[in-house]
Amino acid sequence: MVNTLTPETTERAHGPRSAGPAVNGRAQTRRRRHQAVVAYLFLAPALLFFAVFLILPLGFALLLSTSRWAGFDLGDIDPVGLDNFTGLFADGSTFLTPILTNTLLFALGTVALALAGSVLVATCIDNLRFQGLWRTLYFLPIVTTVVAVGNVWKYMYEPGGLVNGVLNALGLGSVAFLQDPDTALPSVVVVQAWASVGSAILILTAGLKSIPESYYEAAALDGAGPGTVFWKITLPLLRPSLLFVCITQFLTGLQSFALIIVMTKGGPGDATNVAALEMYRQAFSYGDWGTASAAAFVLFVVVLVVTLVQLWIFRRKGEDA
Amino acid sequence: MTPSHRTGGLSRRHFALALPSALLASGAFGCAAPHQGTGRPGDPIVLTLLSHYASGELKKALRGPVDEWNATHDRVKVRTKAVEFTDLLTTFMVRQAAGQGADIIHPYCLWNGQLVRAGVLRPAPSEHAEEITRGYGTAAVGASSVGGEVYGYPTEVQTYALYYNKRLLREAGISGPPRTWRELEETAYRTAARDRYGNTLVQGFGLSTYDDSTTVGQTLALLNAAGGRFVSADGRSTAIDSPAGRAVLDLEHRLVVKGASAPGVNVYKAFQSGQVAMVVSAGWWTASLKAQMGKDYRDVGVAPVPVPEADDKRATLSTGFMLGVNTASDHPREAWEFLRWLNTEKVSAKSAEKGATATRMSSLQVSVGSLTGRADDMRTLLSEGGDPNLRPFLDALAYAVPEPNVPGAQQAKSLLRKNIEALWTGQQSVDEALRTIRRQVDQEVSRSW
Repeated sequence: MVNTLTPETTERAHGPRSAGPAVNGRAQTRRRRHQAVVAYLFLAPALLFFAVFLILPLGFALLLSTSRWAGFDLGDIDPVGLDNFTGLFADGSTFLTPILTNTLLFALGTVALALAGSVLVATCIDNLRFQGLWRTLYFLPIVTTVVAVGNVWKYMYEPGGLVNGVLNALGLGSVAFLQDPDTALPSVVVVQAWASVGSAILILTAGLKSIPESYYEAAALDGAGPGTVFWKITLPLLRPSLLFVCITQFLTGLQSFALIIVMTKGGPGDATNVAALEMYRQAFSYGDWGTASAAAFVLFVVVLVVTLVQLWIFRRKGEDA
Repeated sequence: MTPSHRTGGLSRRHFALALPSALLASGAFGCAAPHQGTGRPGDPIVLTLLSHYASGELKKALRGPVDEWNATHDRVKVRTKAVEFTDLLTTFMVRQAAGQGADIIHPYCLWNGQLVRAGVLRPAPSEHAEEITRGYGTAAVGASSVGGEVYGYPTEVQTYALYYNKRLLREAGISGPPRTWRELEETAYRTAARDRYGNTLVQGFGLSTYDDSTTVGQTLALLNAAGGRFVSADGRSTAIDSPAGRAVLDLEHRLVVKGASAPGVNVYKAFQSGQVAMVVSAGWWTASLKAQMGKDYRDVGVAPVPVPEADDKRATLSTGFMLGVNTASDHPREAWEFLRWLNTEKVSAKSAEKGATATRMSSLQVSVGSLTGRADDMRTLLSEGGDPNLRPFLDALAYAVPEPNVPGAQQAKSLLRKNIEALWTGQQSVDEALRTIRRQVDQEVSRSW
């Protein structure tokens, strides 16, 4: 605003007394306008992309979340106000409990396991030979499709599967991992954490490499043990990488459903049902796009709040995202 | 706003309004029209048919009549597309939204209310509706209708019966299949076996959480056999919270608690490998059991679903599919004509006696071990040399109760499944399950759309 007005103000002030600066001012304005047009032209593809794939769907989803719509005819969109939102939290609705609770537990469990596992493994790898080989091995689940990962683990968890086979060989009874509502969600969380640990290791390894060696040398001179070095040097200096891994894994965890649909389809009962799976079902199985869109906005708010809280916690500890 | 902004074509405000509108409009038009061929004058009309006949016998069976139609009709050609049954509903929804909806669709009748509400299915023209009402059984016509209006030609009709493993029953000292629930329980307990680690070796009575249809179908067949119903006659509330419903859930709960049923086991694998003594399932299964079990199929027997008491009236669940025409099709007349040719025109039946005739669809169904809603065709096609295990399913056509297909039927079924699973896994008692089903399903089916 200031940049636009200043030359015009100057032009008006000097205009009556001198033609030269006025001509220069007009030329400057034309040049700036020309530059703005060029800038907009360069920005246009990106703006168009965002308009088509972000703004428009967002607006449409907002419209649908306050409407009832069966899916195909735009003329049939029926405004219902906040009915879809109140329906999600009405007495008897399963959206808050157990679906949203499961979503948070799933994301939290995944992040906790993946973070702990990846810190441990990345630290070990950092002290090993053939680091590239180890990183590749741990990264393999990332390049494997979720469907394959889910099916393999599903067979391993089955009553006559590998995991129960090992338990039986140890003289222990079988566990109905995916069939028991108490063990189903943790069992899927383990798989999700296992599948996502590879990417976390890559990021943390890069973080470990960026820690100056001089800190470790100083610690060695002071006689610090491995535990002290890890807690006092490695972990604090890894915080930026941990923050990134934590936020991205949490977001992925809150939105994921593919592994669950492959392994349990949300069951038994609603024991492993999560928000994204419920949204998918509401829209594509039940033809209730309004409820699905309302659920999407609720999940959006949850994701936003969780991300802001994570950023706030890490910033309090002196880190910028 | 400066004059140049007003006169220089679209303003920014207009542009901001026009862009989303144009995109929405293009989406709307995209939603409207299925692919119809090249559209050049003189070129044939290409009708697309989307079904779940995606693999093996089913795919091959549909190929026959479609090839015959294409060979004998120059102006209208039919092209088939197929996906697995588990993906069929979502495929309808997604393709329709993307403007790729097929001209002819082959939905599970449970979804008809939902598809009619969404404006996907076109009502059958009166002459076709009359043919359908005249030619098919009551259950089949009911399943293909929504609000009293017929929406398509019934194709396969599935009734539910009791599959049993003759060898396992014999080894347990039981001479024949159970006829009452008391016998069912006794047989289940006597045939069930587990190893010392708690692994199920043999399920006496198979209860499976494989998918909605498997889980719910078993329960509804038993519910119908006990004289109960899932949804009230007006389709506005659930009727499962009745003495019959309570009796069914009690029965299933006892079987699970006493170890005669293991819901976590995939019954579709376990039965074939002799690890399930009895299970309730639909008629389509005979064909795949025959193909996959080989010589062991001789151990498979089929009997009517047991009733609570010996003198109770028989009843069971019936489900079905139909072929209907998409509202977005540009050639509905041709599509209905193809369906009439496929479903009502009688031709020589290869598998039946010489000179016997049946519709192409009926022959197709029987060739893959299934049933059609046309009782006359079924009698013709099963007259001799057919699989005796199909007979109980055919008999059941006379007393089977159609699955309700109200607009929220799929969601009601999913809710029922969740609560059945919660009961089987000890998350809910029978009373809690009945209360929750009533509250959740009532809320869904009573919604005014």
